[in-house]
Formats: sequence, C-alpha cells, structure tokens
Amino acid sequence: MKKEIINFTINGTPYEVAVEPQMTLNEVLREQLDLTGTKFSCGAGECGACTVLIEGKPMLSCCTLAITAKDKNILTIEGLAKGGELHPIQKAFIEHGAIQCGFCTPGMILTAKALLDENPNPTREEVKAYLAGNLCRCTGYVKIIDAVLAAAKEMNEGGK
Amino acid sequence: MSQELTCVGKRITQKDVVLKATGEARYVPDVRLPGMLWGKVLHSPYPHAKIKKIDKSKAEKLSGVATVITVEDTPKILWARSFRDMPMAPSGALQHADEYILADKARYVGDPIAAVAAVDEKTAEEALDLIEVEYEQLPFVLDPFEAVKPGAPLMHDYAKNNIAVHLTPPPFLVKGNVEKGFTESDVVVEEKFFASKQVACQMETQSCVTSVDSSGKVTCYSPCQLAHPFRRELGKMFNIPVGKINVVNPFVGGSFGCRLSCHNEPICIALAMKVHKPVKLVYSKEEDFTTIDTRTPHYYTVKMGFKEDGTLNAMTVDVTTWAGGYLSRAQLAGGITLIWALGHYHCPNMNGSCDVIYTNTTVAGAGRGFGNPAIMWGVEEVVDMAAEKLGMDPVEIRLKNTKHTGEMANMGLPIESSYIDDCIGEGAKAIGWNEKLGKNKGGKGTLKRGVGMATMTHCSGAWPLLIEHSNAFIKFNEDGTADLTVNPGSPGTHIWGTLSQIAAEELGIPAEDIYIVTGETDKTMFDLGSHASRSTYVTGNAVLEAARQAKRQLLERAGKMLSESPDDLDIKDRQIYVKSNPEKKTSVADVCFQSIWNLKGESLNISGKSSWASHYNSIPTAAYFAEVEVDTETGEVKVLNFITAVDCGKAINPMTVEGQCEGGVQQGIGYGLTEDYVINKNTGAVESDNFTTYKMPGTMDMPENTKIIIIDKPDPKGPFGAKGVGEPGLVGIAPAIGNAIHDAIGVWIKDLPATPEKILKALKEKSG
Repeated sequence: MKKEIINFTINGTPYEVAVEPQMTLNEVLREQLDLTGTKFSCGAGECGACTVLIEGKPMLSCCTLAITAKDKNILTIEGLAKGGELHPIQKAFIEHGAIQCGFCTPGMILTAKALLDENPNPTREEVKAYLAGNLCRCTGYVKIIDAVLAAAKEMNEGGK
Repeated sequence: MSQELTCVGKRITQKDVVLKATGEARYVPDVRLPGMLWGKVLHSPYPHAKIKKIDKSKAEKLSGVATVITVEDTPKILWARSFRDMPMAPSGALQHADEYILADKARYVGDPIAAVAAVDEKTAEEALDLIEVEYEQLPFVLDPFEAVKPGAPLMHDYAKNNIAVHLTPPPFLVKGNVEKGFTESDVVVEEKFFASKQVACQMETQSCVTSVDSSGKVTCYSPCQLAHPFRRELGKMFNIPVGKINVVNPFVGGSFGCRLSCHNEPICIALAMKVHKPVKLVYSKEEDFTTIDTRTPHYYTVKMGFKEDGTLNAMTVDVTTWAGGYLSRAQLAGGITLIWALGHYHCPNMNGSCDVIYTNTTVAGAGRGFGNPAIMWGVEEVVDMAAEKLGMDPVEIRLKNTKHTGEMANMGLPIESSYIDDCIGEGAKAIGWNEKLGKNKGGKGTLKRGVGMATMTHCSGAWPLLIEHSNAFIKFNEDGTADLTVNPGSPGTHIWGTLSQIAAEELGIPAEDIYIVTGETDKTMFDLGSHASRSTYVTGNAVLEAARQAKRQLLERAGKMLSESPDDLDIKDRQIYVKSNPEKKTSVADVCFQSIWNLKGESLNISGKSSWASHYNSIPTAAYFAEVEVDTETGEVKVLNFITAVDCGKAINPMTVEGQCEGGVQQGIGYGLTEDYVINKNTGAVESDNFTTYKMPGTMDMPENTKIIIIDKPDPKGPFGAKGVGEPGLVGIAPAIGNAIHDAIGVWIKDLPATPEKILKALKEKSG
C-alpha cells in the first residue's frame, strides 16, 4: 500500500511520519513512535483504553485513521506531565487509589482532562456520564470518580 | 512487635503507580526487542474436527514470513495449562495433561491449530489466510449433560463419557447421615442453579514476547500470575533446564484468575525457538473472549434442611462442572465448590459430589474467587428461601449458623479468627436493613425496590490443598534504604506496596525506604505466585520473617557500635535507640554504612532471608448487602446501593482493601446481571466475543453508593494480623443482588446472570 508523508504535533513536538491509508493512529503512535503509553485493548472503540486528545477532544486512537490526524495537535499520556511535574489529574489518580492494574489509566486520565477542560466544575453524575465509554475491570470506578472530582477542586483552587 | 504502628494501616500509595499515571509503565504488548517478529495464531473454526492435512507452503512463500508451525513442529509432550503436577495435599490428585502446544485435533472453536512469525503484524495476518487446513468435521457436544450420554462424541481418549473426573468432598466435610438429617429437618429446600461462564475481561489482552539467544537462554515476557510454577512447566514442555528460562512479568494489565494459566506463551516460545529471533504474540480481544480461560461454569443442586429455630441440620451439594475442550483448572474449580459450600456454615450432616465434564467449548479455568462466587450464588439463595419458609429474617438465620474462631474452617483447619457476625451486623446497619426489608421502600409504580444479603468464608492461600511457599530477601543499602526481593506477581493489586509496608513496619523505617526487586524468575527465589488471596498472607509472612532477621543483624551491629546489648535496642523513624535511654541512639543509615564500608575487617551487608510455607490458613469472612430497583415492565435491575463488610484481619493498607472490594462490586454486578457468555448451539462459536455483545459494567451501571466497611480486627497468624482480601471482594456480590431481586419482586432467579429476559419470564410465571 502506498505511503503518504504526513505531519502532526504530538505533545508539543512536530513529527513527520510515513503512513499507509489504513493505518490507525494507535498503530502509528505505538509501533512507529514507541509512544506505548497509549494502550490498545478492544480494537473496536468499546473500551476507551486507547483514548488520546486530538485538538483537545477525546478520540479513540484504535478507530482513528492516522491520516485524519494530519496537521492536528495530539496529546497522549506521555505529554501530560510538564517538566517532571505531574498534572493535577495524574496526582489525584495516584493519591486516591484510582489506579490498580493501570491499563485503562491513560485513557481515563485523558478523558477526564477533556471533561475538566470543558466543564471545570462537574457533578459526580457528570463525571460518571463523561467516563461512561472508558471501561475498567479493577476499581469499580469509585476511586476514579473521586479522583476526577478532587482534581477539579484542586485545579479550580490552584488556578485562582 | 511495635506497640504503635507507623506504616501498617496507612493509606500509602505504592511507588510504581506513578509510572502507570504517566504512561511509562510497560506491559507485555509494549515490549519491543531488537529484530523482533510478530506472531499470529490460526484458530479452529469448528468445535470438533480431525485435522487431516495442513499445507503451509503458500504461507511460507509469502514475503516476510519467517516460519509457519503446526503441532508437528513442537515438542509433542502433553501438558496442562494448569501446571498439573504441582504436588497437591492431601489428596495428591493430579490432573491429566491433555493438550499439546498446538492442537492435534480441534476441540473447540478457537483451538490453536497453527502459528506464524513474520516481519510485521499485517504480514503475519496475511499468512494465516494462506495456510490450508483440511478438516474432517466431527459431531460435537456443547452441553455437559448431553456429553455424558452414551454415544456422545468423545473429546479425549482417557475420559470415558467425557467425564474428566468424579470428585467427592474431602473427608472432613462428609459428616453424619444426610438422609436422616433431612428427615429430621422441619424445612427442606432443594433447588437447581446455574453459575455462568464469566470472562475475566482484563484490559490487557493475552500477550507474550519471547527471545531465545544463541546459548539457548529463553526470556519469556508473560503476564502469568504464577511465574515460578510456569517456568517449571515450560522446562518440562520443552525439555530444557529451568535455569535456561527467565519468566519476566513486566506490568500486568489485570488478571482475575485468567493468568493462572499460560495461554499463548508456549506458542510464542515455539516460534522464537524455530526462528532464533524474538517473537511478539498479542491476542486480540476477540481471541481473548474465545480462546483463553473463562471462569468455570457449573450446574448444581443445593439441598438444605433446617430445624424450626433456623438451625442448619443437613446439606448436600451436587455439582456438574462444565469444562471446555481441555481441562485447565476446571477440575480444581469444580472440586473446591464443595469446600466453599459445605465449609461455610455449621452443619452436622453433609455430603456432596462433583463431576467434571469435557465439552467442545472454550476452556474453563480460574476466575476470581475460584468457585466460591459460583456456589454461594445458590447456597445463599437457598438460605433465604428457607428463611422465608421459616418466617425468619435472613440476617437472623445466618447469625444462627455462622462458624466462629476455633471451629473447623472450610479447608479442615481451625478458624484462626472470624468476625463474620460483625460483618453481618455492620453491613445490615449501613444498608438500613430493618427499615427496608420487605417494604419496597422508595419504590414507585412498576419500579420495585428490595434489599438482599449474602455471606461467605474464603481463604488466605490454598494450604493444605496446595503448598503455599514464598521467599523474601531484604538487603540494606549503605544509606539505610533496603531492597526487598520477592516475586508474588502484581496484576494490579498493589501487593508490592503492601509488602513494603510490612517490611518497613518491622524495620522501623518508612515504606518509601523500601525498594522492590521483582518480576523475573532469574532474580527472585521461589514464590508460588498470585492466587487464592494469598500474597499478603503468605508472601507477607515471608517478608515479615526476612525483616525480623535483617533487623536482628542491624541491632547486633548497632549494639557493637553503641556498646549495648542488641536486646536493649529498637528502631523507630530510621533511628536505632536504647530502649531504656532513648537519647542514646544512632541512625540506621550510619550502621548500614559502617557495616559495608568497614575498614576493620568486619564488613557485612546487613540482610535477611526467609523461606516461608504456611501451615495454617486464616479465613477472611464477609457479608454483602445490596439494594436494588427492578423495573417490572422491562425486567431491568439497577443496583442502588452496595455495602461490603469485610473481615480481612488488620488492613495493611485500607485504600488497597477498599480498591479490591469496590472492584469486586463491578465484577459481581456483571456476573449477577449483565455478563452473558453466549455460544451458538448450531456452530459452537462464541457470539459474545466483544464488549458490545458481552456487557461488562461501566460507570453508569454502578451503584449510586458503594461502601466498604473494614472490620479491621487482627488475625493471630497473618503478618501484623492481615488476612487475604483479593477474592473476597467479589464472592458474595451476585448472591446479595439475587436475594435483593427476590425481596423486590418475589421471584427467585436461579440461573446467572439475572437478565431482563429471565426476570420478565419469572414474573410472568409468578402471575400465572
């Protein structure tokens, strides 16, 4: 299959990659760029483990053709901490015991970031609804939701 | 032991969790080795078929394909994915080894037939399409009751009528005279149940990366929970010394029992051996659903007879265990249902039986709770049915029959500690039992509400059924920090943190000073691995003993330095002090430094090592309370509130205990209500092979309130009083929901899961 050269920005760094038209963004991130923080699980858009943010919106990288991300800004889990300083959502997940096996965590954290960027003061119900597409088999979601609410509080108070 | 605990009982986050928050944590599918090839597996499309011929020539000619293998290219040594010949006590019963690395005959849809290694995943996939297999389809049987009939198609030569094994309860659970016991009972309830084929749904699919170097060294990256026993099985399977094999567990993306078996690892190793290059083999979610071990399903009858005052007088449990095309752990999962069921309550007259039956279905093995969630589904419904007939409160009838400290536990040893009555009392209070039972409280119109409960006793490791051996090694570094070498596996249970807290507590240093060395069989001493809620209890005791030894060395050396007797010294906050004169002290760091960099010819790396095998088993207990709302129009059940009250001894880390139990609620709601494994009766194919057709609960399916009550009373044998808690988090969830459904709408659902269809059908039958 003929490859096309495309450009995009990942975590603030510009990349030029050669992709075949059928390649998913997940495949390019993991196999070409070794950004394995983005997970691959169901491969069918059902579990949310592969979530990345494209122009700030949560997208399922396993169902997104790489070529459609051309010229876009992509954030993966590797780009969330800045200069060794964890993002408040990452800190909250760690402190609240929201991480067990950790395989859903990158997708959960990025989806939570998109939520808090859109809605800095969500209710518990709004958090549950926003994370409905991200499956976790370990935690029962209780501490994940607690962590997102705690992060929201921290970000609101910290920013003021 | 310290009077005041400084690390144990604290909500401390395990160190490596930060790597999972940043994406740095590498799981098996993230492992990339130089020159690595991709593996792919061809699975049988038929449930039962002779493999007459495999033509690999076209696949082998495809550019980029390194090799194609079939059963003829692998050592034809029968093995069992359950590592069959671990010495079992007391029965000594071994399981039959019944499978080859690749199938000699297809025994279920999904049975691995051939495998490919190629330069990339796409090429490997293309090559699969070019393998020509000539099958001769054979009659097949999916249902265990059909499978035992004369003339049914046979799966394995050794298993007559497809019966892998007939099991009876261990002698200590066969008591009195059951016939007489039932005759002398005032109320007898006998019902049939089905406990379903739940899928682990671990987020990381089954994966393996293996390299074989020119010296023959095999390095196998695997998510297997039992790394050391797995290595031994590999040695036998490939006829190589175990020292040539390093099983590496990097981060593991969930397990829940399915990783007790190894699955595609032997195929990956066979490919790597053939091509002398590293090979990566990652199963798709569909392959996970159709080819790796599910929880073992059982059909069973529970019969219980009670005296008028609610005393249990007689009990039998007869189980038909529905195994798949290969045995895996179905034999153990079947046999142990008798132990959980008959070992839970007091009862003077008891017996039971279990037949384990092969069928042409996906292999059934271990699932979190290992038979306990399956059998307590029925036992706890029967208890409620009897309570209804006796006009007793479900809480009262249970309190009447629970076992207590000192009595004989489910595995035949004395109960070291049981606070099950506290669990029942605290849980009932938290759910508002007395205000809600039988009152449809808050129900509106077609939305009916009810509450239900269940109890259980479990185990902390499998002794005396299985050896429970762990090792721990602690060495102090010259700055007073310590490296702790253990290998209990870590599928996300935060066991490394728990073990750090145990070591730190004993050593008088903070948990952050403990660094865990783990994850490779080459680096670590033997550990059975992670199963049966054992790691805190068994590996924990190994760590505690190693810490005691290291502490002794540390105090002896400090005694020399301070000219004091080591018996007069203790450690707190990294300081070694004289107990009678706390002002006289030195630091752990200084003693460690002076010991290693010692110019007087007395160099010593302070350390402690323990080989620990449990010779007792402290049983965790729990009570579960559900409040549900049932829509009588749609049959849908919503769990509104869930309370788990757990007696897991002293909680080393309450946050970890809560996490285990909260996660159990999600799995239990799935098991109880939504997770339905559907096999096509005409083709034998699994129809629920993804998260759309197999519904595991998401955030919106969870209760509004989930509360975990930790009873937190120390056990005399566990490290700092801790017992196991991993599996108890799940065991009674579905049974409590089942009983709550009955309280809401007056019907008993006996087959898991309680889907809307079953609820509507039961309501229709009830209204006649």
